[in-house]
Amino acid sequence: MKKLLALLMALCLCLSCMAFAAAEDGVTLDVIICEYGNNTRNWFLGTGMNGSNFVDLFQAANPDIKLNLEVVSWSDVHKEVSTRISNGNAPDILNIDTFSEFVADNLLLPVKDYCPDDLFEDFFPAFIQESIIDGTVWAVPDLASARALYYNKAIFDEVGIEVPATWGELKDACQAIKDFYAGDVYGIGLDLTEDEGQATFAYFAWGNNGGFTDENGAWALNSDKNVEAMEFVMDLINSGYANPSPSTQTRYELQDLFGAGKLAMVIAPNQLPQYLAEKGFTVDFVTADIPHNEGATGSSVGVMDRVMAFKDDAAPDQAARNDAIGRFLKFFYDPQNYVGWVSMETFLPAVNSAVGALVESDPSFQAWLNVLANCRFYPAANAQWADVRNGVVVDVEQRALTGEEVRPLLDTLQTKITGK
Amino acid sequence: MNQILVRHKWEPYLWLLPSVLLMGVFVVYPVCIVFKLSFSEISRSGVVGSLNGLDNYITAVTAPEFGSVMLNTLIWVVSVVGISTLLGFVAALLLNAEFFGRKVARSIMVFPWAATLVVQASVWKYIINYEYGALNNTLLNLGVISQSVNWRATYVIDFIWECGIGIFVTIPFVTFCVLAGLQSIDVSYYEAATVDGADFWKKLKHLTLPLVRPSLTVSTVLNIIYVFNSFPIIYTITRGAPAHKTDTLVTYLYMLAFSEQRKGPATALSVVGFLILCVCAGIYMMVTMRKEGEEA
Repeated sequence: MKKLLALLMALCLCLSCMAFAAAEDGVTLDVIICEYGNNTRNWFLGTGMNGSNFVDLFQAANPDIKLNLEVVSWSDVHKEVSTRISNGNAPDILNIDTFSEFVADNLLLPVKDYCPDDLFEDFFPAFIQESIIDGTVWAVPDLASARALYYNKAIFDEVGIEVPATWGELKDACQAIKDFYAGDVYGIGLDLTEDEGQATFAYFAWGNNGGFTDENGAWALNSDKNVEAMEFVMDLINSGYANPSPSTQTRYELQDLFGAGKLAMVIAPNQLPQYLAEKGFTVDFVTADIPHNEGATGSSVGVMDRVMAFKDDAAPDQAARNDAIGRFLKFFYDPQNYVGWVSMETFLPAVNSAVGALVESDPSFQAWLNVLANCRFYPAANAQWADVRNGVVVDVEQRALTGEEVRPLLDTLQTKITGK
Repeated sequence: MNQILVRHKWEPYLWLLPSVLLMGVFVVYPVCIVFKLSFSEISRSGVVGSLNGLDNYITAVTAPEFGSVMLNTLIWVVSVVGISTLLGFVAALLLNAEFFGRKVARSIMVFPWAATLVVQASVWKYIINYEYGALNNTLLNLGVISQSVNWRATYVIDFIWECGIGIFVTIPFVTFCVLAGLQSIDVSYYEAATVDGADFWKKLKHLTLPLVRPSLTVSTVLNIIYVFNSFPIIYTITRGAPAHKTDTLVTYLYMLAFSEQRKGPATALSVVGFLILCVCAGIYMMVTMRKEGEEA
């Protein structure tokens, strides 16, 4: 028995040495990709790319680069990344939504260090603008999605109402739906959870010409416009026009209620049709602009994710590492691969070269690309964004739900964030 | 006897060594790391910086929600442990009696304890759901209610549900601890008491309770630790929303660390939780050791 154990240990030692030797040959990149949907893992690691996968195809085309690619769910990715950073084991390439906290800790490589010029020119300039801090581009967009109002056509026809364009019309429509169904169908779905409460804030603050920041980019959380917007949201909830538990019902639960015909309107991303189809819902819906206040201009809400590269001072050959990261990006954004990736989960592209092929394969993309052109994005380049995001949801929206006044809550948050 | 079994003085220590090593690597070392982290600056992205004294503790304790979170933790532990101990004790008395189908009843009793807490919490969340929940559907079909009732109308009700589910899943553990104690009581004691004319309540007070007290103490102390650390029920049902009003210390520090990315104060709170449990464990050890002393 002892001999057997000793033999096993010796074998393990030999194998680990071999693994080390293999890693020494060429560049190894640790990559973390977020799991966007049911197909992500299969596309990167399974058989989702015409029977093969991204990693195998990339390594076949670049035999000197080894990819350690991991697909991580959205609910775990922040946890995993910060744990790895704490342990001094940051990934080489990371796909995630935020980036300013990594810049604040001086962990990222500037994009110009690794991104080939022709690829950099290919990104939508408006998207690149969202990833600049102190004049340096720190991340590139991997994809985007745009939000719109979806309404259940059958419910609207039955009640005999028109699609609301303004807040006044939205309240009237909700009242009519409430009267008609005696509370069995909710007017509009609102998500005030820690998942997406910040999106609800954006829909209504931006729809009242308010927002997270003023025209100079300074935090303006307690502006009169924002107070009015949040009071309107609370009014919708207190009048019984919205889902009854907004602090625990996430957008996915609202999408399910919408699919089941229990919710007349929901604000959701452009992937909603695919989501409903995959869940087997056959609801008859139409999209419209997100309602705005009378006299204000409406604007759609865009959500963008990013790809970024971490510094690795221990890498023996920095130039070779940067080159490998650039080749990874080139391969990912190659229209032959990227178009399949974006359309697989019905996202919107971040590069010009993909637009033609996408519109050709699905003409409805064009309408969404037009929406995207007028989208506003979260101020994620500000290092305090994460605090603002949590504050808006937990300290303002959820406290207001428990009966507190909106204005003092927004005042307190503004003071907490800006110190004045 | 001892001299025959133990050939060398060091032999017991050798046999203890693997467990001591495991405890050291998986318990003591992480606890030390957490203590150190709680006095360190941790950035949002996870970079551990220099030591910052009591800053993390002060930030955590002065947060406006800290008071309500601690109050919730107290209500949660006292109500779940207290009520489940009472009900579990009654259930144990019932299951100790001779009746047809006792084995089946005992097996059914284990189910809530055997199933994973996340699964149970998810099932309960589905049962009390307003829009499509099983409770509303059943009551509607039976004609008890004429339209759906919102069983989760306020966060206070949500928290009561969470405590209720906590009690439900904790009862079996108490029941089986007490049942084990009950089965070790010699029947002749009860026969003697009956001959002396003692009724059910007198037997309960003067025989059963003193004799199952060791089992009750063990189950209560273990329950305080389990329930204090219990995370899945609250996280699955409300995630502490709205505004941490349904959080206990454990769910709160998790949200702080991994949702709000504020690991410094979260680590400080986990140390606070650890110390509270150390006090509980200390009291338990004092009680049991004193009793052993009395018996000796």
